Amino acid sequence: MRIKVDKEHCSGCHLCEMVCSLFHTGTINTERSAIRIQKDDLNTSLNEPIVCRQCKEMKCLNGENVEEKLERPKFLWEKDRAERCPFQALTVFGEHAYHCDLCGGRPQCIRVCTPKALYV
Amino acid sequence: MVLDRRIAFVDLRTRTTETKPISLDLRKKFLGGRGMNMYLLSRYYSPHLDPFSPQNPLIFGAGLLTGTLGFGARLNVTSKSPESGHLGDSNIGGDFGAELVKAGFSHLVITGKSEGPVYLLIRDNKVEICDAHALQGLDTIGTQKSIRAELGDESIQVACIGPAGENLVRFASIRSGMKSSAGRTGMGAVMGSKNLKAVAVRGTLDIKISDPERYLKSYLRYLKKFMATKWAQALGKQGTPLLFRLANAMGFLSVLNNQETTVGEQGSRLEAEALEPYSTGMVACYSCPVHCRHRFFVEERGYGGEGPEYASIGSLGTKLGNLDLENIIYAVELCNRYGLDTISTGTYMAWAMELYQRGILQREMTEVPLVWGDREVILDLIHKIAHREGFGNILAEGPYAKEMFGEESQEYFLGVKNFPIEMTDERLPKSFALGMATSTRGACHMRSRPSIDVLGLPEDVLKKIYGGPVSNELVSYSGKGRMVWWHELANAVCDSLGFCRFQSVFSSPHAPHYRQFSRLIALATGLHVTPKALQTTGERIYTLERMMLAKDGLSRRDDTLPKRYFEEPIPEGPAKGAVILRDGFDRMLDEYYRLHGWDENGIPKKRTIARLGLSE
Repeated sequence: MRIKVDKEHCSGCHLCEMVCSLFHTGTINTERSAIRIQKDDLNTSLNEPIVCRQCKEMKCLNGENVEEKLERPKFLWEKDRAERCPFQALTVFGEHAYHCDLCGGRPQCIRVCTPKALYV
Repeated sequence: MVLDRRIAFVDLRTRTTETKPISLDLRKKFLGGRGMNMYLLSRYYSPHLDPFSPQNPLIFGAGLLTGTLGFGARLNVTSKSPESGHLGDSNIGGDFGAELVKAGFSHLVITGKSEGPVYLLIRDNKVEICDAHALQGLDTIGTQKSIRAELGDESIQVACIGPAGENLVRFASIRSGMKSSAGRTGMGAVMGSKNLKAVAVRGTLDIKISDPERYLKSYLRYLKKFMATKWAQALGKQGTPLLFRLANAMGFLSVLNNQETTVGEQGSRLEAEALEPYSTGMVACYSCPVHCRHRFFVEERGYGGEGPEYASIGSLGTKLGNLDLENIIYAVELCNRYGLDTISTGTYMAWAMELYQRGILQREMTEVPLVWGDREVILDLIHKIAHREGFGNILAEGPYAKEMFGEESQEYFLGVKNFPIEMTDERLPKSFALGMATSTRGACHMRSRPSIDVLGLPEDVLKKIYGGPVSNELVSYSGKGRMVWWHELANAVCDSLGFCRFQSVFSSPHAPHYRQFSRLIALATGLHVTPKALQTTGERIYTLERMMLAKDGLSRRDDTLPKRYFEEPIPEGPAKGAVILRDGFDRMLDEYYRLHGWDENGIPKKRTIARLGLSE
């Protein structure tokens, strides 16, 4: 399972970022979200949600002696992994990278995405 | 924590900032946003306060729940208005309010005048005053882009003025993003008078939620219910232009400065469907599930933006006899870039056009013939107003232009409390008419407009909502005082929480209301305010606003409508013959004052003031 994105439908409301941080940290902080909206809000191009693609081959873990299946369900990651992500899909804030753990099977971001830009 | 957000008091003359917490007592009494803004303004307000003086405070206030999972994330800008000369207040959406609270502040109180142009930069608990010489003369988009480029951060949110605010056009707006506007009452002109070009904010602080699990659960439940309403679905597809068809079909649209109230079948050229070829998608304000804003692109002219809203289509379209949609889109975009309120801009132009039609204004003054619907004249006037050139310099004075236009011009200025009416005509819907007359910021539909009234709901349903008998006939005066009173309180609460009017009981009885608000406040902040106490908060805010107007000497005789509404029945169309009857209007006012606890002259009674904890 992975979060799929239809960027043409993204309204740029940030609800996905808010609910992601709330679900995982108990606080609302769009910086601490595994999904982020890239907005070009002073021009007329589209908004783009960026989130982990759950790659089969996890290049983000290259060089690490860890088990992939144990890392997938974790939300807080070491920030070095963000640099290794070929899609730059991991948010970095402070000392951490924020990784989409799919909320344990029921992604919250999809529940609040009323324009249906996010789905599984 | 939501309740830890502070107020920054900024003095631009001394270049000093003092930050203060907001006490729990004040939070309970005024919540945040508009409510807190009114509390703060009331400490400065006097009839002698010149809106352009350094002492006039410019207050930014984010709603109590702005930045949380709510129904919008809005902010009010409040000051004494240079346009009306009375209470100034304007509500803005977009992302600015949320970014301000992420930086640790819910309110800014800006006084003094800077010697040179400056902008405020607010980042995580810090306020800096920065030089803005390089930003002078830039339009509102250019200003925002320049600040982001200078600071190397594309996530910075900026509220700024354009040339109109710098030139003290009395109805200049404050702008953020492509489209968001604190448009009404000339808050941009106050900003200009302080040499303050912009407020730039960037915040990364945590917003701690009191009971995250139950809060998320409740929010998702309310969200699901609201998004299932026809209103939310229609608004998400078509935006506010969907309202144009209704106003035109029922005959409550402003046409030719309200000499008429419909454009009949020609209206299809300005309806929501006509906008579709230009729309490239729908976008939303921060924390909004509805996404009612069109993003557009005009191929032939090679420019794009967001909007236009129904209010702007009416004000720069039908009100001026202009039915050319591309011209309207462009005129709105010009206003947005210059930082002009589209509603006031349209209304002052319509006033001048009617004066020209009647021979009260001559070409010597107007420079060009002010012919209804002349598209080039409309665009030219917008340029001239923003730069205060020629005849535009006179129009830039707003209602005060009557000093140049002469005595005879006054009855054609359609306003309430020295503030111009909007894109509609209220002779048909009596509740709308009363709301325009009683609004504390002068003629305004956002203080109370009970759009529910057009639905004609069963009267037992209305009684349940409003707590007393209300007629379901749009043309009836019966119970409409109650209806307006009720919505004024609800809207004051909404504005104080930072929620959007469209996601409250403005147009849909199924939208979130006090009960849901009370629960979200408790679960997000830990503050317990009952639904009943929320309504009392609405009373408190509205009565406090009224007390400031009373200081200015305003009373019952100012809670009135343009002479045309009382004396000229609508001449043609579906609302033909509609007019406001004085005795019906007076009955509505009596009921309205009684419910507010004000005397028969519209002055808050001492015991009401004491009950609401507003005694000085």
